[in-house]
Amino acid sequence: MKLPRALQPLVALIALAFVLIALATLARSVSAGAGFLVERQVVLLVWLAGLVLAGAIFTWIARRSWRRNDSPSSLWLMTVTVLALASPLALMLLQHPAH
Amino acid sequence: MLVRRAVAALLVVVGLLTLGYVSISSYIAEQLVYEAPKPIVSTPANLGLHFASVIVPSRDDHISLKGWFIPGILPDGQLTTDRMIIVVHGTRTNRESPGDHLLQLTGELARHGLGVLSFDMRGMGESPPAPLSMGNLEQRDVLGAVDFLRMGTLPFPELGRPRFIGGLGISMGAATLLLAAAREPAIQAVVSDSAYADAAPLLEREIPKRAVPIVGRIPGAFAPSALTMARVLYGVDLFDARPVGSIARIAPRPLLLIHGAADDYVPVNNFQQLAAAATSPATSRVTTWLVPKTRHAQAFKNTGPVYVARVTAFFDAALRSAGSGA
Repeated sequence: MKLPRALQPLVALIALAFVLIALATLARSVSAGAGFLVERQVVLLVWLAGLVLAGAIFTWIARRSWRRNDSPSSLWLMTVTVLALASPLALMLLQHPAH
Repeated sequence: MLVRRAVAALLVVVGLLTLGYVSISSYIAEQLVYEAPKPIVSTPANLGLHFASVIVPSRDDHISLKGWFIPGILPDGQLTTDRMIIVVHGTRTNRESPGDHLLQLTGELARHGLGVLSFDMRGMGESPPAPLSMGNLEQRDVLGAVDFLRMGTLPFPELGRPRFIGGLGISMGAATLLLAAAREPAIQAVVSDSAYADAAPLLEREIPKRAVPIVGRIPGAFAPSALTMARVLYGVDLFDARPVGSIARIAPRPLLLIHGAADDYVPVNNFQQLAAAATSPATSRVTTWLVPKTRHAQAFKNTGPVYVARVTAFFDAALRSAGSGA
């Protein structure tokens, strides 16, 4: 089953978030043997590099999807993607950390 | 066309903001979970006490913690390990903890005939680097100390194993001790000095006051995300340390709660919450002491002999009741 083109950025965003978290967990497991001082830096480096790479991949997918599809549904799906992308920011800023 | 462009522009702006926010939060998390340990300058030898350096493995994760095993001194000068007190220091310090005169307090307990096992919690003092977790992981260190006293190879073997194990903790050490004592009945009496009831409100308030390299003072908006990132990246749940949720399980063992009335770091309402929760079981045996005009973890420093008299009397009474099977 082929994924509708307009849906690709949203799916990519969710998939990239999961991959990033899995990558950080893997980096933690692999570097744990070297001690926490090494572990904390390795995990941060892997995470930040992963974030940049994920940003580049997402930009590429979003651009490609945007250029090849100008239907009204694609506009709505892109709006949903913007909201999904903004949700961590909004949740973090609005949530009370104690809850 | 215009709407499409606006949405595209919004996507770029939000994407960049989220990327920046998450990146900075991750860096702050990395800085929050660890701080370079403070060196130990004095030892019990500086107080004229007999002691042995020991390695105490933490329970479950077996981290090798550095500690001191100090026998108590009986009135006739004989050494004793019959009653041992596990002494637990606060956050970002060590078993010497000059800020609250912990080593001096340790010496006073030993001179009263109470043996002391004090150790550096993980990530602090001379113990191996490890993430800080406000007691959540550190309670394994206290439980490891209990295991060491009950089953480990003790120095001064001629003195035998302790018959009574108590605990005394200061600040985060007190919170950690409360969490451990709720799980471990072998800790027969607990003195908690300046414990917090719940780490979350404390962190919420204190993190924006801290400064980290490059970023400087942590903006308040980054505090919740940095704590979330600490969980995602390092598996450290800084919000899970809630002694108020488990303190009732210490009953019927005796518990002495001490707090400074002028504590502005861990406000007095923490003491009140802990006291209320601790006294909720019908079998509870809780004593409270709110020390006037005293700031955070300064009760021993301010009251000296009064503090020692109260604490040792508490342990003496606890031992008597333990001996009578109460």
